[in-house]
Formats: sequence, structure tokens, C-alpha cells
Amino acid sequence: MSKKQDVWQGTLALMVLRTLEMQGEMHGYGIARRIEQVSGNRLMVNYGTLYPALLKLEQEGYIASEWGVSESNRKAKFYKLTRAGQGQLKREARQWAATTDVIARFFATEGSPS
Amino acid sequence: MRRLRGFLLRFTGLFGRGRREREIAAEFESHFEMHVADNIRRGMTEEDARRHARLKFGAVESAKDSMRDAATVVALETTWRDFRYAIRGLRRNPGFAAAAILSLALGIGASVAIFSVADSFLLRPLPYRDPESLMMVWEHHTGHMPRNSISPGNFLDWKAQNTAFESMAAFGDAQAPFADGERVEELQTQYMSADLLPMLGVEPWRGRFFTREEDAPNAANVILISYRLWQNWFGGDENVIGRRVQLRAQPATIIGVMPPGFYFRTRSTDVWETLNLDPSRNYRQTVGRYLMGVGRLRPGVTHDAAQAQMTTIAQRLAAAYPGFNTDWGVNVEPLRESLVSELRAPLLVLLGAVGLLLAAACANVANLLVARYTSRRREMAVRAAIGAGRARLIRQLITESVTLSLAGGTLGVIASRWIVLGLLALAPLDLSRNISVQVDYRILLFAIGVSVFTGVFFGLAPSFAAWRADASKGLREDNRSSIGGAGRLRAWLVGAEVALSVMLLAGAGLLFRSLAGLQDVRPGLNPTRVLTFRVVLPSANYRDAMKRTEFFRRALEQIERLPGVESASAVSFLPFNGGSAGTDFKFSGRPPAKPGEGLAATIRTVMPGYFETLAIPLKAGRVFTAADNTAQSPYRFVVNETFVEKYLHGENPLSKQISVDMDDKNPYGEIIGVVGDVKGDALDKDPEPTVYYIHAHLNYTRMTFVVRAAGDPMALAEPTRQAIRAIDASQPVAEMRTMDSVVRETFARQRFSALLLGGFSLVSLLLAAVGIYGVMAYSVTERTREIGVRVALGAEPARILALMIGNGMRSVVFGAAAGIAGALALTGLLRSLLFGVGSHDAATFIAVPSVLIAVALVAAYLPARRASRINPMEALRAE
Repeated sequence: MSKKQDVWQGTLALMVLRTLEMQGEMHGYGIARRIEQVSGNRLMVNYGTLYPALLKLEQEGYIASEWGVSESNRKAKFYKLTRAGQGQLKREARQWAATTDVIARFFATEGSPS
Repeated sequence: MRRLRGFLLRFTGLFGRGRREREIAAEFESHFEMHVADNIRRGMTEEDARRHARLKFGAVESAKDSMRDAATVVALETTWRDFRYAIRGLRRNPGFAAAAILSLALGIGASVAIFSVADSFLLRPLPYRDPESLMMVWEHHTGHMPRNSISPGNFLDWKAQNTAFESMAAFGDAQAPFADGERVEELQTQYMSADLLPMLGVEPWRGRFFTREEDAPNAANVILISYRLWQNWFGGDENVIGRRVQLRAQPATIIGVMPPGFYFRTRSTDVWETLNLDPSRNYRQTVGRYLMGVGRLRPGVTHDAAQAQMTTIAQRLAAAYPGFNTDWGVNVEPLRESLVSELRAPLLVLLGAVGLLLAAACANVANLLVARYTSRRREMAVRAAIGAGRARLIRQLITESVTLSLAGGTLGVIASRWIVLGLLALAPLDLSRNISVQVDYRILLFAIGVSVFTGVFFGLAPSFAAWRADASKGLREDNRSSIGGAGRLRAWLVGAEVALSVMLLAGAGLLFRSLAGLQDVRPGLNPTRVLTFRVVLPSANYRDAMKRTEFFRRALEQIERLPGVESASAVSFLPFNGGSAGTDFKFSGRPPAKPGEGLAATIRTVMPGYFETLAIPLKAGRVFTAADNTAQSPYRFVVNETFVEKYLHGENPLSKQISVDMDDKNPYGEIIGVVGDVKGDALDKDPEPTVYYIHAHLNYTRMTFVVRAAGDPMALAEPTRQAIRAIDASQPVAEMRTMDSVVRETFARQRFSALLLGGFSLVSLLLAAVGIYGVMAYSVTERTREIGVRVALGAEPARILALMIGNGMRSVVFGAAAGIAGALALTGLLRSLLFGVGSHDAATFIAVPSVLIAVALVAAYLPARRASRINPMEALRAE
């Protein structure tokens, strides 16, 4: 068994938003595959967390959904970013960058533990 | 905002759930199919592709569950679902539900009722400003009488010398005829120094309070009236301020109306008047101790500091007036303490008892829940196996028990309203007179708290049993198993119920024994068929002392002429009615007593015929005759047996000369007779040495008539009232009641506690019996097969019966033993309520467990008999 990380809840929403920003409309399966691909298969998306996250984002108005037909001619629910979602993504991305920057500084200045 | 929107969406998600469920299913389906298609594209076989997809997707149900969780306000929805499930389950088991709800309703109803009563006495703040700094200031005599009334002289000195109190006031209660020219009635009055009402921090409803000048000697009479009197007598007339009325046949002006419901220590007060103390008068020489004192502590002064300062002042006064004040100190007592100290013991006992009852009810419900859980072990195991989380299962169990307990609690609160009314009907006068019991929101909170706590706590009991019985075991286990963890838990619960029940029964048993003892006490007089009522002559109209004696003589003459009257008389202080006068006296020919060592006696003034009317037996000499009741006749006294025993040590009392410090002049007089003892203020008090005066020599305006009837004494109420009216049409008559009820009232408190504890213990006995029966019936069902085998192997039905009963009784015996131990430890708290019976009374402690074990045997016998009749063939085939 290869060691794969489960996606943490907080970041999953950000990844979903980012994926939708890059790919436009997409169904749940596609989003999951896309996240796994982008992570180089290091992340494994648990559907038990993905769909609730999608629902939550939709309820908060950041994404919208619509039933459509998939590339393989299958009925599927497609998600896309809303205007509010775009704003939210910008904010979240900024926050994320700030956080990683701070954390990075910690490791840069204190030196690595011996 | 977004959060709110999400919440609202999720909340609306509660509804239209069917459609959303279908949508989720469709979305998952399409996801799954796409995954399969992808896998096939990668070269898997269809079967492999599906297997992989299924593995990857994980538990569909749990994903759906978490979808739902996100989709709705989870707690709300699952609770609602659990709640409906619980209701459905309870409806399927009406017997179980009824038993559980009923036990809780009884437990919670009784505790809410007792709590309401206790609350209004022990917890609710007094209706005055900053009541915690209000203190009663008593005189107290070394060794006894910690709450004695105070001398006006001492009060004036305290007030002048202390710095601990911001203000100090004196007051007292009286009754007085109140007349407005048309009608006259005797009302309860309270006289007080002008400082008192401002000290309490209340405001007049109409008009104003007393000024210092109005409280001075010889000031014109001004009075305040109660809101009640304003409404009932004056019809709420706004012009009542300034109205002239007659109080004690003296003109008085109404200057204010008190706020509705206001009272100070005496709830029935309708008129407040001024005390008019004269600082220049030497009260210590002329009058005794008859006032009460109250003070408000200066901010920052503690109770102890005030007590210390007052003790110093009292010591100074004792040194300055050794004759009057030797052995007298001061007792500073918080106002609330002084109001509840008598009631605290019975109320705490009742609170404790009702707590035990509630605990028994909870144990019973837990027992029922565990039984119910045990029979549902399989169901729970199945639910766990198909993926219900443990937390979910436990939450469901708790929801069920909270549902039960809230139902029980609601019923209990409704029941408590009736229970409180019942309590007040049974309550002794000092309780019911001063009570305003309301079931308010705090008490509702208390009830809800108790319900929810019971539900959660006792929902957890079966949950822990669920813990022990592992889910998978539950599936495998069948009815063949013997009683497991749940059975042991139930045995414990039954033991606990039995123990609680024994404790309650022991308490009730002791109280009933002392009640029976009180009823057997010979009061020293015969109270049957005696009517009593009080007449207070207005001293303004009866300045001449002999006019008073003449009034009472004529009244008695008229009353004795009435048909149905056997004899009639009157007395200054009716026995068993609280209150009496007491003072020191001297024997002629003995050296004067040293200060503080005076001979003390209770003093009663009577009219001729008193001893005959109340059937107080004459022991030696003679009693008063009409000839003694004149101003010219020499002073003569009748004393009681205790007086002779205590002070004469075997000397012949007759023709001994005594002088009693009762008046300005106290000539020596002869003891002409000795009568039997009458008990003190209550049946459980010892008689006190008593000296009887004839009315002509110790003149009271306030006398209580005693009329012995040939038949029903209350039938004489109207004729006697008219007889009094016939002599003086403006003379009111008050407190008509039978002597029987006066005597009964003295042990009303004991009767009240005994009845309540008796009721509680019967309920707890019933609960214990239900618990024992339930456990036994369950264990018979569980062991049907085993019993079948035993019977098949030749066990006699009697042996089976003995085996089953023996098993069931083990927890009963242990519980009873624990209960006796608990009762022995706790009944000491009852001591102040007991009379003529020790708190470890052997008879009670033998009778109570015997009764309980007898009841338990019956409860155990019924299911055991069923076991003994088991047909082995059926039992073995039953699997």
C-alpha cells in the first residue's frame, strides 16, 4: 500500500475552488480525479468528505451546481465557481500564502533542529 | 451572513428531504459509474473495475450520512428522528412507558411541590431592602429562652449606646377593635417605633409613614392600614387618607396605606400604630419584657461584631440594674433565621425525604430502561453492525430516556400544583399562614433540570450496559445466556430502591409513632365539646377595672343561660395557644431571693368556673367561686401540682402566703387550692409551675372564653356572639374555634411531616415492589430453559420456587441492610420532630424491614410461581 495523505478539511475547499477556477464547470468525480492528479497522486480524496464539502460551498454560495451530461454521455451534476466564489478564492489564496510565508520564515530563521 | 444563509438552507433542508435524498443517490451513482468507466478504459475487467471503484468510494452509506449531516442542522434532525423513534418505541411498550413516566411524575411532582414550599421559606429573599443586614435583637436569659421579648427600658439604652446598628426599632403585635361608626371588628395590629418602616426600605402605597413626632408620648393616634383592609373595608376609596376611625374606642387618623402583600413577621396584620415610648419613663420599674426589637446593621459591620457590642452593652446594663437584668443578655439573630428556625428542621427533613423518593423513582426508571435495553440488545447489535456509530446509538438511548423523563417531568409539574394545594390544606397554621407558595419559573427550571438530568444520567446506565455487551456478542448471544452485566446492574438498582425505601419507611415509622404518642398524651384538661373565642374590651371604654370584671361576669351569666351550654368561663391566656405571662413571686416568711434566683411561675387569670369547664381536676383545697371575684375579697391563689412539687418540696401548700410581682401593689395572698397540671404550650412540653389569679385581682381586658357544650360546640357560635352583642353592641368577638382544634394545632407540624413522609415511603415501597417484580419476571424469562432442564431432571416445583425467590431476595436483603444502616445514620436529623420515641427506636427498625421484606416476597413470589410451573418440554423447545 502506498502512503497517501487524506486531504484536510480546510484545504479541500480551497482546492475545490481553485480546481473549478482553472477547469470551469466540472462534476464531483472530475474534481476528485483532478485533485489527485495535481497532487501527483499523493493526496487521496475521500468522497465522504468531498461531497459534503461541495454541498457546503454551494450552500454558502461560492459554487453553483446544475445537472448536465458528462463527456461519456452520463447524467452528472456539474459545479462551477460563482462570482462570490471567485472573491472567496482570492481571499483564501492570500491567506494561505500569508500563512505558508509565516511558517516558512519560522523554519528559515530558527535553523533546523539538531 | 453567509453562515446564517447556510444555516437557513440547511434548516430548510430538513424539509423536502425525499427529493434531496434521491438527488444525492443519483450523484453518487453517476460518480460511481464514471469511475467504473475510467477503470475499464485503463484495461480492467468490468468486474475488477466495479470492485475497485467500490473500494475507493468507501462506505456509501456513511458518505450519505455525512452528506445528510452537512445538509441539515444535524443535531436537530437526528434528535428529531431519535425523538420520533423513541415515541414509536414507547408506544409499542405502553406498560413500560406508563410505569416509567408515572414513577418520574411522582418523584418530580413531589420534589417540585416540596421544593416550592421550602423555597418560599428558606431560599426566597425577604421582601425588604437589603434583608441580609436586618437583625432581630432579643433579650436572652442565661440557660434558656434565647429569644425572649425585650424591656422598653433596655431597648432605649441599647438604641442610645450601640454603634453597630444604623437604626433600631421596637415593635409588637396586638389585637384591637376597629370601628368606623357603623361596624366594629377586631383586627390584628402591630405597634412599632417610627424607625421601623423606613428601615425595611418599603414605600407607602398611599399617604405617608409615621413621623418621629407622631411616635412621641401623648401624640395623637395615627394609623396605617393594610392594602387588604383598604380594599375590603373602604372599597379602595382614595379619600381614605385623613379618615377618622376608632381604634380601641379611641379616635385615630388614617395617614397611609401599606403596599399590597406587605407584612412584617405577622402576615395577618391590618393596622399599624405607633409605639410611643417615653424615654423619660423608668420602664424597668413598672413593666416587664414585652417588645420585640429589630435593627439594620451599619454597612461593614458583621453579625458577630454586632453581637459582641450588644453583649458588652448588656453586661453594662446588668451591672447598672442588677435586680432587673442579672443573667439577661442580648441575642442578635438574622431576621430570616428568626423566621425559619422553627420550620427549617421539618422542611429539610421533607426536602431530604423527597430527594430519597426522587432517587428511588430514578432508580426505578433506570431499572426499567436497563430491562428494556436488555430485550433490545439484538436490535442494537444489528444497528451497530450495519454501521451506526456508538455515539449515535448512545444518543438514541439518551433521547429515549430524556423523552420519558420530560414526559414524566411535565406530568410531575402539573401534579405538583395539586400536591402544593394538598400540602397547604394539611399544613400547620404557622406554615400556611405565612406562605405564598408559587410555582414560578425557577421551579419550572428546577423540574426541567431534574427531568433532563434523570434522563441523561439514567439513559447512560443502559448505555454502559451496551458498552459491556459488545455489539458482535449481542448478535451471537441468544436467550440461552444467563443474566449478564445488565442483570447485575438491575440487581444493584433494586437493592438501591429497597435501601431508599427502608430509609423513608423508617423515617415515616418514627414520625407516626411519635404522632401516636402525642395523641395519647393527656393534656391535663378535657378539650372535647368546648367552644373558645376571644373578647378584647377597649380600655378607653372600660377604664375602671371592676367594669371589666363586671362585663365578663355578665357575659358568662348570659352564656350559661343559653340552651346547650353546660358551663362557661374565661381565661387570660388559653392553654395550647402560645403566649402566656410569667413573672417572679415570693413566699411569705422566706428570705428574699438573690437577684437572678427569683422563683418564677406562669400566671393565668381566670373567671370562676374555669377549672370545672375545662375539667382540670382539683387536687386539694378549693377553686375560685363567684365570691372571690370581687375587689373587696382578699387575694387568693390557686396553683398547679408542678408548682407544689417544684417550690414546696412536700410542705402543705394550702394557706401558704405568696406575693406575685404582677402589678404595682402585690399583697400577699393565700393559696386556697391545688389543681392538676395542664401541659405547656404544646403537648410535648412539660407543664410549668402556674399561679392562677381571679379576674378581680389581676385584671385583663383581653380574655378568651371557654364554653362547654352539651352537643356540638360550634352550634353555640352564633348564640354566644349574640349574647356578647346584647351586652355591648360594639364589642367584637374573634377567633371562634373549638378547644379540640386548638390542641390539635400544637402537633400539626408533626402530623404534617408524618403524613408526607408516610406518603413518600408508600410510593417508594410501591416502586421497589415494581422493581423487584420486574427483575424477577425478567430473570424467569431468561432462565426458562435452565429451569426446564432442572424440572426435566426432577427438581420439585417447590425447589424451583425457593431457588428463584432466594435469588431475587438477595438484592432485597442487601438493600434492606444498607437501608437500615442509612436510616440509623439519618434519623438523628428527625430528632427535633420526635416525641416519646428515640431516633433509633427498635420497634420501628424491626417493623420496617419486615414490612419491606414481606412486600418483596409477594413481588418475587408471583414470577417465581410462574417459573415453578414451567413445562419442561415447552421450555426446551422454546428456542
